[in-house]
This record gives sequence, C-alpha cells and structure tokens, in this order.
Amino acid sequence: MADIQIIDAEKRFGANHVIRKLNLHIEHGEFVVLLGPSGCGKTTTLRALAGLESIDSGEIRIGGRRVDHLPPQQRDTAFVFQLYSLYPHLTSFENIAFPLRAARLPEAQVKAQVQQVAKVLRIEHLLNKRPSALAGGDMQRVTIGRALVRRPEAMLMDEPIGALDAKLREEMRAELRRLHVENGSTTVYVTHDQVEAMSMADKIGVMNDGVLQQYDSPTRVYDEPANLFVAQFVGSPIMNVVDCVCEATGAGMAMRVGGMTEPFMLGARAAAKLKSGAVTELALGIRPEAISVSRTHSPGTVAARVHLIEPMGAFDIIDIAMGPEHGCATLRARTASQFVGAQGDAVWLSLDDARSHFFDKRSGLLLRANA
Amino acid sequence: MAQVSLQGIHKRYGAVQAISELTLDVHDREFFVLLGPTGAGKSTTLRCIAGLEQPEEGDINIAGVRINEWSAAQRDVALVFQQYSLYPNYTVRENLAFPLKSKLRSFTPRQIEERVAKAANTVRITHLLDRRTDRLSGGEMQRVSIGRAIVREPRVFLMDEPLSNLDAKLRELLRAELKGLQQRLGTTLIFVTHDQVEAMTMGDRIGVINKGRLVQVGTPYQIYNTPKNTFVASFVGTPAINLLDLRVDLASGKAFDDSLAFALDAATAHTLSNLALPADGRVRVGVRPENVRLVEQGGMPGTIYGAEHHGAEIIAIIQAGAHTLRATIPADSRVVVNQPVQFAFAQDKLHYFHPRTGDSLRL
Repeated sequence: MADIQIIDAEKRFGANHVIRKLNLHIEHGEFVVLLGPSGCGKTTTLRALAGLESIDSGEIRIGGRRVDHLPPQQRDTAFVFQLYSLYPHLTSFENIAFPLRAARLPEAQVKAQVQQVAKVLRIEHLLNKRPSALAGGDMQRVTIGRALVRRPEAMLMDEPIGALDAKLREEMRAELRRLHVENGSTTVYVTHDQVEAMSMADKIGVMNDGVLQQYDSPTRVYDEPANLFVAQFVGSPIMNVVDCVCEATGAGMAMRVGGMTEPFMLGARAAAKLKSGAVTELALGIRPEAISVSRTHSPGTVAARVHLIEPMGAFDIIDIAMGPEHGCATLRARTASQFVGAQGDAVWLSLDDARSHFFDKRSGLLLRANA
Repeated sequence: MAQVSLQGIHKRYGAVQAISELTLDVHDREFFVLLGPTGAGKSTTLRCIAGLEQPEEGDINIAGVRINEWSAAQRDVALVFQQYSLYPNYTVRENLAFPLKSKLRSFTPRQIEERVAKAANTVRITHLLDRRTDRLSGGEMQRVSIGRAIVREPRVFLMDEPLSNLDAKLRELLRAELKGLQQRLGTTLIFVTHDQVEAMTMGDRIGVINKGRLVQVGTPYQIYNTPKNTFVASFVGTPAINLLDLRVDLASGKAFDDSLAFALDAATAHTLSNLALPADGRVRVGVRPENVRLVEQGGMPGTIYGAEHHGAEIIAIIQAGAHTLRATIPADSRVVVNQPVQFAFAQDKLHYFHPRTGDSLRL
C-alpha cells in the first residue's frame, strides 16, 4: 500500500518560507493534483516527495515508511518533468527500457515490461524511433512510459503537459487520467492550470503562499470553495465576488450588492449561511452559471443592463452592469449562445440560493450553514 | 475614419512564403482579430500594416490611402507587443510621455501632461504614474504598454498577443477591459492571437489565418456555427469538435461506418440531399461536444472512457468502436468510467465536410 503522508512539513529558502506546516494524506491509488500560482510551493512539495529537495522539519512517509531522510533512488518514486528528458541517441524502446537495464533485469523481462507500458500509452508504433523523430505529445508519452516502466510506488508529475499546445493538452489530459485508471498507482501531479486539476484529480490540494488552502474533490472545491482565494482561482470564467449587505426578512433575506438600493431576495437556504456568526463585512461569491438572466421582468428579479457580450461558442458570457447609472457592480453571467440581443439591452436577474456563497471579507473564509 | 484594407499581399522570407494573396478589409472602429496557429503569418501581416515589414506584392491602405511607401512613424499606428518593451529605468509617466516627445510631433509640455493624464486614467494606472516600470506586475506593465499606445491617439491600434504572458485570471479580466476600452475610444484595433477564446470573446469579427492564407472572416458566431472547413472547425471551440468519417446513404436514410450508425431525421436527410456529396457518399461529419447527448434509449452504444469535471459541466469522453467522442453534459450527471451508455447527436447542429479537402459542403 503506497499511501503518502506529509506531516507538519516546513521548508525555507533563505528568508523565503515556501512550505508552511503542510499536512497532506494521499491515499493508495489516488490521483492528487497540487494546484496553485507560481511560487505557491507546489513544485517544492513534489520535489520534497521525490527527494530532490530536503525539508527543514516534519515527516514524509510513503507506504508507511519514513523517507524524508532517504536519497531519491531509495524512495521508489518516479518523476516526470515538464520538459521531456529523453536520451536523444536512444530509441523510444531503449529510453523506456533504461531504468530496467540499470536495475539489470533479464532481457526477456525488459522486453515484456516495455511492451506492456507501450501498449497502455499507445506508443507501440513509435518504439523504434528516436526522440528527434517524435512530436511533442509522443515524446511526453515516452517520458511517462519510462517513469511507469519501473512500476514505482508513486508517480510524481511536474506540469507534464504544460508545454504542449491546447488541443494536445486536451487529449493528454484524458490519456493520463485513463492511464491512472488502468494502472492505479498513487499519483501526485503539479499544475497551475485549474482546468487540468478539475478534469483529472480525485482530490485537489489548492496551495497559495506555501499554505494548503483546501484539500477536497474537484466538485467540492468548485461548489464549496473554502475561501476567496480558492473561489477565484478555480473556475473559468472567474467566480463573481462583490461586496454585499444583507438584511433578514420574513423567511429569507434581502441582499444588496455594491451599494444598490434594489435588493435580491434570497430564501432560507442562503440566509442560513449567515446565521452562524456576526460578520460585518460580507462578500457575495456567485459563479456565472448560478445567475439566471431573463429578458423580461418578473417578480423578484432585479433590473440591470448588458455591458459586454463575450461569445464562447457553446454559450455566451455577458458582463452585466447593475444599479442606477449601472455603476454599482458588474456581474458576469453565463447564458445560451445569442440569448441577449445586444450590448445595452435591459435584462432582469435572479440568483440561485443554493449557489450563493458568502465570505467574510476580513478572513476571506466561506461562511457555512450550521449543520 | 480608419479602415484598413489589404489587397493581394504576398510576403516571403527566403524560401518561406509567409503570406499568400491576402486580401482583407477591416472596418473603421472595428475590433478585428487575426487568429491562427504559430507560424500562420498573422504577426507578419500585422508588421506589414505597421510598416516594420515590406510585402513584395499588394497594397496596404489606411483610410483609403495607399501607404506601402510610408515609414512606420508616418503611418500613425501604434503597436503593442507581447513583451512589454518599456524603458525599465523610467517612471510610468516618462514611458507614457515618450512617444509624444518625438521630433515628428510638436507637443508643448502642457499638452503632453494632459494627454498622459488622460491615457493613464483610461487604463487605470494614474496611481502608478511615478513608479518605475521595473517595479510593476505583469498586468500593470501591460496596462502601461497599452497606455503608451493610447497616448498618441493613433488612427489604428495593432496588438500582437498582448495578453499571452499574463496568468489566466488576469487575461480574463484584461480581455473584457480591452474590449470595453476599444469601444469607448472608438479606434480601429487589429489584434493578433493564437488563443481562440481571446478571438471569440473580443473580436467584432475574426479572420482565421493558416499557412499564410486567410481561411475565413466572420463574426464569432459565424466562425463557430458555420466554419468554412475542418481547420476552422477544429481550431475554434473547446473541447474541440468531434470529426467522424462516415458514409451517408440517403436511400436507406443512414449515416454509418464500422463503429457507429444513426438514422437521419427528415430535416437532416433533406439538408444532405441538397448538398454536393462526394459520389461514394463519404462525408466528414462534425459534431460539437455540446451537441452530443447521452440518452436513455434509442441511441448509439458506447462506453465511458473518461469523465472530466469542469465545474459548470462534465466533459464525458465516449468510446464508440474506433471513435473517441467528447460530449458536454450537465454538471450533476452521474457517469463512471467503463459504464455503457447510449448517445445521440443534435442533428440540426451537424457540420458536413469534404473528406479529402476538408471544405464545408454547405458553403
């Protein structure tokens, strides 16, 4: 069983505190993505798992065995970098076979293991080619093959598809995930691309400034972001975050955004989130798809105006200006393609209760309803 | 009035034909995006308009006047690059004032001051005016670059991938900002990018360029909904359009190959009967992921190869025989790997292309 535990890990580079009190438990067979902006500590964490960096304090355990004092080769992990690190003079077969030959495995076994990995990665037809004859995606497949062939306890990947073009990334995402499903090895994958994290991970660890912000399934990270950083790092278009003031009414509450006079009326589900504490400075967080846009007025909707239309193809994103003179706040909403006629058109909005999130502006933390 | 018109432009670099027979009319006050992959010729086109490159053949007109022989400075256009190209040891204010101090222009210090203040206000960098540019973040630097273009009040803005170096979130914010800015200023803007999302979201019209040739010009909706060939269809839209080489048999009312088959509905059969189908009935059918649906019964059989949670929706990857198809399905759908499913296409949204040339059979 190769679960990975990071316990109270700390790492400094001089005055730079890159990992702060990190605790993370990755279960056997899980695909975990460490996600964050550059400099957040995700790559350092990965390198510490591999043994390419030491940690200043804390523990790292792989399969229950403490490894933080061991050199990389004794940790039984395989590392895949963003840039293909293939031997240019060797064929794909020899590149993949390299770690096995280094371990002096018998020739028959080398052949069998290389063939098996090549089949999974769909690169059997490339085995006799040298790296220079391969396209970017194929080179990265070979690199991954070389990491996999040793059947390591854990696969560690550092932005392995970041250098590929958009379409190939889309394909490789699916292939890497599929490979994991078939292969089942514990995988830690580092990226700054939230689409990769959402689409591939069993769990996402969102990091910022060396601190783990949230560790959850992609749907939970998306639907219940722990704080404002996570809320705005995950999801595209970005989650709307606007200042708001709330006032209890009979069953629910009236919420005004950005100094507007006309309130959104929200039901008990939204109101329950605010009952737990006396927070004075509030921000509303709502994803574009949780705002419903209507071209006609109906009771309970709030009047606004279309400021900008951004066609995405399958749907449109529209920027909506709120309030008198339309200067109070801007919200982005997602609509069907060509749903609104033109910029300047009047629209009426309502918000989905369940998907209206409230954050304490001071701490940045999500407010939750008491269970 | 500053319409930009290119007529029959050719540009070669040694043996490489960078632009071939390029003819294009950009309207006055338009936000026009040149979209294409690396090496397509889009930056070369922009540089020809700016006067940094000379085409071997063809006319470049701005506001109806041929300007091929004019120097870059005489053309009165402003270029913004991907790299910020600011003077690092100068303040933002000095960087903005710089283009106005050229000997070609005779501005008084007072006029310069006014213009700088106005441009800084427009791109919201007034609070940064006295800061040195090497102390700015990427987004701030790109705002200063744009401010430096604005300050000259040029006839045309030319921008070459100005957002590419910024992180995803900032790019998203600056996209909307730049589009709003262009509308307020009302200045013609030609914007070069390889990012189809930028093109779709910002352009009044998009010109898709590939291998030095202009493939299609249209509004974002036209480009997405009626792509002229498989290159445009595949380049625009994410996840990418599914392309299937099928045989269409109008007699039996079916489209099929060895992996899948579906019955053509009456409207689709009628549409296809009016197209110039290849004699052997082979058609490359394009179906966008949002037009592939999972159905309870009566659909084509497949299995779930993978499922990607994207928050607002799930991308289901369906294996059907030799095909791997992507379908955009609601976020609350329940799909698991290896699950057998049935799927169907929204037939009124299908695209038909010639299997050899890739050209749309509709146009």
